[in-house]
Amino acid sequence: MADIAEPATWARRAVFVLLACIITITQLVPLNLEPVVWAAPDLLLAVTCVWVARKPDYVPVYIVAAVFFATDLLFQQPPGLWAALVVLLTEAIRTRHRELRSMSFAAEWAFVALGLVAITLANRIVLAIVITPLAPLGLTMMQLAGTVLIYPLVVFVARYLFAVAYVAPGDMRKIGQRT
Amino acid sequence: MARDNSSETYIAPVRNLLVGALVLVLLAVFAVWRIDSPRVERLRMAVIDRVVPSFDWAMAPIHGTAHLLADFQSYQRLAAQNQDLRRELQQMKAWREAALQLEQENAKLLDLNNVRIDPKLTFVTGVVMTDSGSPFRQSVLLNVGARDGIIDGWPTMDGIGLAGRIAGVGRQTSRVLLLTDTSSRIPITILPSGQRAILAGDSTSNPMIEFLEDRAVVRPGDRVVSSGDGGVFPADLLVGQVALGTDNRLRVRLAVDYQRLEFLRVLRAHPHEAINDPGRLLTPMPEIYGPSALSPAAPATPEAADG
Repeated sequence: MADIAEPATWARRAVFVLLACIITITQLVPLNLEPVVWAAPDLLLAVTCVWVARKPDYVPVYIVAAVFFATDLLFQQPPGLWAALVVLLTEAIRTRHRELRSMSFAAEWAFVALGLVAITLANRIVLAIVITPLAPLGLTMMQLAGTVLIYPLVVFVARYLFAVAYVAPGDMRKIGQRT
Repeated sequence: MARDNSSETYIAPVRNLLVGALVLVLLAVFAVWRIDSPRVERLRMAVIDRVVPSFDWAMAPIHGTAHLLADFQSYQRLAAQNQDLRRELQQMKAWREAALQLEQENAKLLDLNNVRIDPKLTFVTGVVMTDSGSPFRQSVLLNVGARDGIIDGWPTMDGIGLAGRIAGVGRQTSRVLLLTDTSSRIPITILPSGQRAILAGDSTSNPMIEFLEDRAVVRPGDRVVSSGDGGVFPADLLVGQVALGTDNRLRVRLAVDYQRLEFLRVLRAHPHEAINDPGRLLTPMPEIYGPSALSPAAPATPEAADG
């Protein structure tokens, strides 16, 4: 997409990339190397979904692809597959972000949750088809549930800490500003 | 996205095309990885090798804070800990005495038997830089790599037990696949019965014992050491103890302490010399013992010629 963005938008994009870096590094720090019995929610994915739903301009598709491909490489996941699925999910949210804005939060949450379930299942199915070792099902389901559950929390934090919220009608500072 | 409707009608299809292409490229990378895994894994290792060491400064504060908290907790029970340590030290002194005597006795017996044992393993010690970052993979990244002569497949230990093996070497980093990872399989021997088996990680803290021939002779508490089967590992590295899981399967309680893994020793395991040619059949010399000896006129039989 040949987009002409304002410097402010570029700054917001940089904030997103920085946030992604911080989340990734925090996950990489070797604090406990014992296998865990529960899986933490996929915070990076939740953050990306919130950002795309609220301010799609701040997370262009190439940043999503680059960030998730990098985490694929760093986290020893099969490279490319998860990144492709996340790109598809964010595109699905992006094309509907105007409709999402007029929906209630519960509806938005349900839509995103459905998308998360869909890409998690697709990931497992593709990995099973190409006969790659699969992660334990329980852990995957736990992570999925966690990601869905922290979504409202991330929305809250994004709203009040990063000012990532829907643009209200009449909120435009100048005519023709991108929404 | 677009400033007005007319430009949106032009941009949207092009954009969809580009996104489609992007997804296809990502899926193509996945397909290539599935087809030619080692090459892509080498690429992955190269990327990690380039990226992760430069993030060291960012990880230090997180690591430091976590350690500070852990230390603070341990200060609270310092007195109790001190008592425990003293008691343990007393026991250890007794054990050390016993070990020294046994070592001497062992050396004497080996000398009597004229046994040639494996050359001593030397090791390189590395610092654990990162873990795998996801709850589904159990691996760590060390700060030693090809630069330090690390080779794929070498075993790694903490001070006591086997921790895993090198799977992926970059120039200045290398990845250690821990015994608990779902794709970790190592050959083991269970002592004292001497049963051979495979230790298979399954993302729990106690890996499973698989392909055990005779379960009756293995009891919980038996020592588990690595075996040299297949030439992939040096033999007799301590792995842990047999334990009976709640699902009634035999598992191994690992000797390595994954909770406090800061340094790892990479053992320089040099492969044993391989014996390539099969032993030839030793046949009696036909002219002395064979049928030709009985009937000297007959030519040598095909069987004899075969040998």
